[in-house]
Amino acid sequence: MPRVQDVPSIPPAGRADDGGALPPVLDVQDLKTFFPTDAGTVRAVNGVSFAVREGETLAIVGESGSGKSVTGLTIMRLLGRAGAQIAGGEIWLTRGDGNRVDLARLADADMERLRGSEIAMIFQDPMSSLNPVFPVGEQIAEPLRLHKGLSRRAARAAAVELLALVGLSDPARQVDAFPHQLSGGMRQRIMIAIALACEPRLLIADEPTTALDVTVQAQIIALLRALQARRRMAMIFVTHDLHLVGDVADRVAVMYASQVVEEGPVADVLATPAHPYTRALLACVPRQQRGEKRRRMTPIPGTMPSALAVPSGCRFHPRCAHAAARCIEAVPALEAIAPDRRARCVRWREIGP
Amino acid sequence: MTAAAEPLLAVRGITKHFAAKGPPVRAVQDVSFEIGRGEVLGVVGESGCGKSTLGRLVLRLVEPTTGTVAFDGTELMALAAAELRRFRRHMQMIFQDPFASLNPRMTVGEALAEPVRFHDGLGRAAARDRAAALLAQVGLGAEHLDRYPRAFSGGQRQRIAIARALATAPRFLVADEAVSALDVSIQAEVVNLLKSLQETFGLALMFISHDLSVVEAISDRAMVLYLGRVMEIAPIDDLYSRPAHPYTLALLQAAPGGGKRGGDRLILKGEIPSPSAPPSGCVFRTRCPFALADCARDIPRLTAVRPGHLKACIRDDLTL
Ligand SMILES: Nc1ncnc2c1ncn2[C@@H]1O[C@H](COP(=O)(O)OP(=O)(O)OP(=O)(O)O)[C@@H](O)[C@H]1O
Ligand SMILES: Nc1ncnc2c1ncn2[C@@H]1O[C@H](COP(=O)(O)OP(=O)(O)O)[C@@H](O)[C@H]1O
Ligand code: SF4
Ligand code: SF4
Ligand SMILES: [Mg+2]
Ligand SMILES: [Mg+2]
Repeated sequence: MPRVQDVPSIPPAGRADDGGALPPVLDVQDLKTFFPTDAGTVRAVNGVSFAVREGETLAIVGESGSGKSVTGLTIMRLLGRAGAQIAGGEIWLTRGDGNRVDLARLADADMERLRGSEIAMIFQDPMSSLNPVFPVGEQIAEPLRLHKGLSRRAARAAAVELLALVGLSDPARQVDAFPHQLSGGMRQRIMIAIALACEPRLLIADEPTTALDVTVQAQIIALLRALQARRRMAMIFVTHDLHLVGDVADRVAVMYASQVVEEGPVADVLATPAHPYTRALLACVPRQQRGEKRRRMTPIPGTMPSALAVPSGCRFHPRCAHAAARCIEAVPALEAIAPDRRARCVRWREIGP
Repeated sequence: MTAAAEPLLAVRGITKHFAAKGPPVRAVQDVSFEIGRGEVLGVVGESGCGKSTLGRLVLRLVEPTTGTVAFDGTELMALAAAELRRFRRHMQMIFQDPFASLNPRMTVGEALAEPVRFHDGLGRAAARDRAAALLAQVGLGAEHLDRYPRAFSGGQRQRIAIARALATAPRFLVADEAVSALDVSIQAEVVNLLKSLQETFGLALMFISHDLSVVEAISDRAMVLYLGRVMEIAPIDDLYSRPAHPYTLALLQAAPGGGKRGGDRLILKGEIPSPSAPPSGCVFRTRCPFALADCARDIPRLTAVRPGHLKACIRDDLTL
């Protein structure tokens, strides 16, 4: 990816709108990631903004193809093989030393040093990210040797400790196990151990529990939250399950067709969703309280637009129950609807809570 | 007994052991239940607990080690191969991956006409009309008849797979994780379709899923499996509002949004033991927070907590 070389990092400074709070660990502004394809340009991420603070979890939720994974991969700068390009925007990371860097413009070599040390990512399918021919202990030890310069022996000892930390029984023995000898839940614990080895300031977890049983999912989420609280790590948790969001996150960003359409504290967004898409998503699989009468599942009419043929104006308008003529005129802005909440809908006031 | 009161499906002591290196895999162990005409029975449990094997046993797609299945009074295990093939028209199965069950080189019209021609001996033109009617039943227009599966979205493909399953006018469908791979909006669409087919045609359904909220939305009753055994079976509202088995409670609390955030949620320790070496006594005892010494001794029998609500747990003193 041809990018500006070596942008000097700027000293720590909160943005003007921070109100004096700690600067976010990650501050993404108007991010755009495009894939050139034979059929045309796929605008997979198109104007995405959000921030994550120390010790905070931001959930990114949306249906398949909404741009969640590409957002994560863009932050990690792992787009190279897919042929995608950052077409615009900024990705400010506050480093451990307090300096801020724009990952969108960082040189590849500098990015290489940050990846795995200050920011790390775990994926939905641990089997495809673990190397089948090496014992898991070596895979955990590798980033420690690379980034922290630990000796082989010290890295192995640290790997055993990390395995204990992620709740594997008998870590001294499991350190020599190969990935295929472990269950899906254990493999995901190994992935977490690798990601956490160098104590990153930011962890991006892309559907880390989607392939797991609910009981194991609950274990992994409890583990991630405990580790995060202990280390004050910032976390981005990507999921397609809006109900899971309430269990893992402090804040949520709802994505639709490559854009964030609603953002805010989890409890508020789930209790009083402002954007018609958030409401529609919740109505698909209603959760009832004990004893409450059963509610019907309500699908969203129509289908998700193709990334190559995005509707004009509000991208949700062909499927929206509240669409009006002015929804089609221009892409609605992600506007503040409460002190800590934003929504991308021109009619949010009329539609009411 | 009148025909109406007799269940459509009666499964008795069905057991399946798969041969393996070492001890056999006890995939399904002594499972008995009934499904009424037009009834939806949900089947839930963690992966590997035997849900898919049970679904295939019920249709005799695998041979049981022991046990029987009666479909509308007909003993499936007594049927010869040719009889069974003809009988299959009454019972069909739909799977998680609609792509896998549709031939990519066949148009939708050809895929739908095939079972009609086999079972009803219809001619080409009549079969095509029937295919169009089947598409209409699942909410798709006849213009789709000449298109290939790859031209459809996930939800549309699952509709086509359902249309194909409906081709022989079955009275019973086994849906094995039929909506698990779909986006929530498409899940809702497919679940509503199955529900309306059940209401319109009195279709009975065995709905297998690891997703408790989808099972809740579609089922009349549900059965909870663990290591091949039934832990609990109850009318759906009862099961979700008054679970009687510790494992059911654990599943409900582990479901996203199902428990309270923070400490007081029941999170099971460890993972499901190997079905080749299940624990003695109650198979759930190694993960059960309420296990007593007695739980290791006898296999708990399914007993009624209230009419129609059965649990296999020796403890009656728990308020879950
Ligand atoms: N290598 C690629 N080449 C072209 N388009 C791509 C590529 N990778 C992703 N896209 C497109 O970018 C858009 C966003 O994809 P992304 O993988 O981020 O979705 P997602 O929200 O993570 O979906 P899922 O829930 O299915 O994981 C989609 O339209 C997808 O088709
Ligand atoms: N053909 C087979 N041969 C050997 N073991 C099998 C076979 N099919 C399933 N099993 C085993 O039987 C158990 C139950 O499997 P399955 O019915 O697929 O569970 P579920 O659908 O609940 O995930 C598992 O331990 C599985 O590995
Ligand atoms: S802008 Fe209009 S079409 Fe878009 S979500 Fe709001 S009401 Fe619906
Ligand atoms: S029988 Fe014992 S181990 Fe089994 S569920 Fe009941 S209390 Fe738990
Ligand atoms: Mg993804
Ligand atoms: Mg299965």
